[in-house]
Amino acid sequence: MRVLVLGASGYIGQRIVHHLQGSGWASALQASRRPVPAAHSSTGAQRLQLDTLDLGSLSAALAQVDAVVNCVAGSAHAIAEGARLLAAAAAAQATSPRIVHMSSMAVYGAQEGTVTESSPLDPTLGWYAQAKCEAEAHLRQHAQAGHPVVMLRPGCVYGPGSELWVGRIGRLLLNSRLGDLGEAGDGWSNLIHVDDVCAAVLAALHLPCSAGIAPTYNLSAPDSPRWNQYFLDLALAIGATPVKRLRYRRVALDAKLAGPMLKVGEKLMQAAGLATSDLPVPISPSLLKLWPQQIFLDPSASLRGLNLHLTPYGEGLQQSAAWFASTHRTATSRHTSA
Amino acid sequence: MIIDGNQVEEGSRLEADVCIVGSGAAGISMALDLSGRGLAVLLLESGVLEEDPASQDLYAGEVADERMHSPPDKYRQRRFGGSTAIWGGRCMPFDPIDFEARHWVPLSGWPIGYEEVARYYPLANTLAEAGACEYDADQAFDPDATAMFEGFRSTRVRTNSLERFSCPTNFARRYQKRLQLAPDLRVLLRANCTGIHLAPDGGSVRTLSVATLQGRRFSVAARQVVLAVGGLETPRLLLASRDVHAQGIGNQHDVVGRYYMCHIAGNVGSLQVAGPTSRVNHQYLVSKDGVYCRRRLSLTADEQRRLGVANMVARLHFPRITDPAHRNGVLSGLYLAKNLISYEYGKRLNDGAPPSVGNYLKHLRNVVADPLDTLGFLAHWLRKRSLAERKFPSVILRNRSNRFSLEIHGEQMPNPQSRVTLTNTPDALGLPRIQVDWRYSRLDIDSVKRTLDVFAQEFQQDGRLSLHYAEDQLEEDLTRFGAYGGHHIGTARMGDNPRTSVVDADCRVHGVGNLYVASSAVFPTSSQANPTLHIIAMALRLSAHLSAQLQARPPSQAQAPTLATEAD
Repeated sequence: MRVLVLGASGYIGQRIVHHLQGSGWASALQASRRPVPAAHSSTGAQRLQLDTLDLGSLSAALAQVDAVVNCVAGSAHAIAEGARLLAAAAAAQATSPRIVHMSSMAVYGAQEGTVTESSPLDPTLGWYAQAKCEAEAHLRQHAQAGHPVVMLRPGCVYGPGSELWVGRIGRLLLNSRLGDLGEAGDGWSNLIHVDDVCAAVLAALHLPCSAGIAPTYNLSAPDSPRWNQYFLDLALAIGATPVKRLRYRRVALDAKLAGPMLKVGEKLMQAAGLATSDLPVPISPSLLKLWPQQIFLDPSASLRGLNLHLTPYGEGLQQSAAWFASTHRTATSRHTSA
Repeated sequence: MIIDGNQVEEGSRLEADVCIVGSGAAGISMALDLSGRGLAVLLLESGVLEEDPASQDLYAGEVADERMHSPPDKYRQRRFGGSTAIWGGRCMPFDPIDFEARHWVPLSGWPIGYEEVARYYPLANTLAEAGACEYDADQAFDPDATAMFEGFRSTRVRTNSLERFSCPTNFARRYQKRLQLAPDLRVLLRANCTGIHLAPDGGSVRTLSVATLQGRRFSVAARQVVLAVGGLETPRLLLASRDVHAQGIGNQHDVVGRYYMCHIAGNVGSLQVAGPTSRVNHQYLVSKDGVYCRRRLSLTADEQRRLGVANMVARLHFPRITDPAHRNGVLSGLYLAKNLISYEYGKRLNDGAPPSVGNYLKHLRNVVADPLDTLGFLAHWLRKRSLAERKFPSVILRNRSNRFSLEIHGEQMPNPQSRVTLTNTPDALGLPRIQVDWRYSRLDIDSVKRTLDVFAQEFQQDGRLSLHYAEDQLEEDLTRFGAYGGHHIGTARMGDNPRTSVVDADCRVHGVGNLYVASSAVFPTSSQANPTLHIIAMALRLSAHLSAQLQARPPSQAQAPTLATEAD
C-alpha cells in the first residue's frame, strides 16, 4: 500500500513514516511544505515537497497513492482549508484514496468529565480548536459522500522526541517554572505514546469503513495520569528536584507577562536563522487552560476498534526522560547546579 | 454534583447505595475512592466551603475542665472539607506495634494488623499531598548528611522516624471539582444529619433524618451508611439516636463516648549537644518530591516492649516561648503577636500565667535587641509560609547554642473514665450538645518519663549529648496546655468484643448491619502519630470493603438505586 503522509516533517508525521516503512506492507510518500531534512530520509521513504493548499499538486500526489495520512499542522487556514482541499482532491480521483485524519482532543473544547467519540464538539476554545472542528466537518462531509475516512483524536502525544510534551515540560520543570499545581494541575493529561498513535494510524489504514460514516476514535492511554502526577514523575526522572509546588497565579503571571515576549523573541530568532533551544520556553494561554481542565478522553472504542496494545505509562515516561537527558544538556539536577 | 441541601424537596427521601455523613478528610477520600465503581454515593455536609458561624455553632458544647481540653468547637470545623480547612498537615503512619495487644497498655490490640491499613497509606499520602509514602528518613534522605546528631548510633533510640507535611491541603478546595464532575457522586451542602433511624429490630439503619439550618427537612435511605464526622461528633450522633435503643446506637455496653484519647504533649527538658552546631540537624528537610519532612526521636519497638511503655515521639524544639529569658527576638515576637494568631495555633503561646507588663517589656526588649534575626524570620515566613502554596510547617529557629528542648507527642492509655457525653442543651437543630471530660493518667506521664530516661542514657553513652529534665516538673510540662488539640480518638473503638468496643474489624457498628464509622473514633489506641493520615487510610480501607460488599450483593431491584428524589 502506498501511503502519502502530509505534514511528514512534524514529530508525529516523521514517526508515522518510520512505522509505515517498517510495516512490511506499506511504503510512505512523505510530503511537507518545507524540504524534508536529509537526516529523515534514512527510512528510504520517497520525499515530496508539497503545498497542501495547492489543489493541483495535491491531486497529482494523491494519484500516486492508495491512502493518505493527514498530519498537517500550522495555521488555522492550513488546517481547515487544507482539509477541505484534501477532500476535494480525493473525491476527484478515479478511486478515492482512504484518508486517515489526525484530529485532536481540542475538538471537545472546554468540556470536562469523560468524553466519548459521540460527545458534542465545541469549537470555542480558540483558533486551533475551531480549525480542527472545521477540518473534521469537511472530512465528515467527504465521508457522507461515500468516501473512506477514519478520524483519530489523540490527546497529548508524548514519547522520545516530543518537544511539546516532554522537551518543553522538562525545561519548565528544570527552571522551576512548573511543578505541582494543586487543583490547577488536576486535569487528566490524556497522554498517548507516539508509537501508539502510529499503531492506530496503521490499523486505521486497514479498518473496514461502511459507506457514509467516518469511524472516529479517541486516542489516549487509560493509565495516563493527571498533569500534576506527570510533572512530578517527569521531574523526578530528569532530576528537576526538589519539585516545586506553584501557585496557579504565579504560572499564569509567567504566561501572561513573559509568554508574549518569549514568543516574539522565538519568531525573530527563527526568522534570523538562529537556534531557539536556549531561549526560555513560553507558557501559552492554551496550556493554562489545559492543565486544570478535567477532561478524560475515553479510549475504550479505540482499544477495541483498532485493537491497540498501548505502551504502559511507566515505560513511556522512562523512554521520554532518557531522550530528554540525552538531548538537553542542561538536564542536571538543580541541586548540583545550585 | 454539588448542590445545596435547601434545594432538596421538603419531606422527600433520597436514595443511594452509600451515604457518607461528613465531608472531611475521611468523607471526601471515601467518596473519591468509591466513585467509578458503579455505585450511587451521597455525601452529606453540614457547612459550605467557607466558615459559617451558624453551622460552626452546632459544634459548640461544654468541657469538664477548661484547662484540660479546648471547647468542642475549637480545632474542628463544621464545613465542606471539615477540619482540613485548619489542620497543620503533619502526616505519619502508625507503627506496627500500635496494633499489637500490649499487656502494659490496657485494652490494647487492634482486631486488624498493620499491613491491612499500610497498603492504603500510599494513596492516603497522595490524597493528603504528602508526597511519596517513605517514612524512613534514612531511605528518603542521605543518612549521613541529614543525621539528627552526627555520629549518633543507638540500638534503642531511633532518629530515622520521619514525619511529612501536607501543604496543608484543604480537601474541599483541592477536590471539589472532582466531586462536582463525578456522575456517581452527589454532595449536599448545608445538610445536617440529625438522627439515625434503625429498623424496629435495631439490626439495620433504615433512614437518616437530615435538616438544614434554613428549615428544610428530608431523609436519606441508603444501603450502607458511613459516619465520617470525627471523634467527637460520632458518639454524639450515636448517643442521640435513641428511637430503638434507649441508650443510643451501639451502646448496649456503655462504651460509646468512653476511652476518649488525645495525645500527651508538651516541651520538656534541656538537651545539650557538644561540638559545632553543624553536628545537629534540627531543620526541615525537603524531599525530592518537594515535601517538608522532619526526623523525630523514638524508641524501637523492642525497647518499648522491654520497658512496657506507650508509643511516643520527640522533636528537637526551642526553649519555652512564654519565658523571655530565652532572649530570642523571633520567639518574643511570636509571643507578642499571639493575639493575632488563631486560637488553634496560638494556644500553646499562652501557658496560663497571667501576662504581666514586665514580661511584655522583656519580650519587647528581645525583639528590639535582635532586629536582624526577627526581620529575617519575618521575610522567610512571608515567602515560605504566608505566600507559599506548600507551607513551611512551623517556626524553626536557627541553631546557635546546640541547646534544645524536646517536644513530646505521646500515646495515651485507653481509659473508660475519659469520655464524651450528651448534655441537656440542644443545638439549633435540636440535637443535644456534648460535654467533653478528657482525662489522662499517671501511666501516661510515667511512659514519657521512662522513655526520656532511655533517651538520656543513650545520649550519655554517646558522650556528646546530654539530656536533663526535672522529674517533678514533668507532669506539669506535659499537661500545661491540656490535651493536644484536634486529635479526637477512641470514642467508638474497634474490637471483636462488643463489651469493650463499638465497631468491628470492618468499622461496622456491632449489631447494626449497615452502619459504619470512618473516623479516629474507631482507633482503639492512639499511637504516637497525628491521626489524619491514618484516618484517610482507614477510610480507604472501608471504601474498598463497602464496594466489595455492594458489588457482591446487587440491590433487589433490577437496577441500582438512582439519586433521584422520590416523594415519601
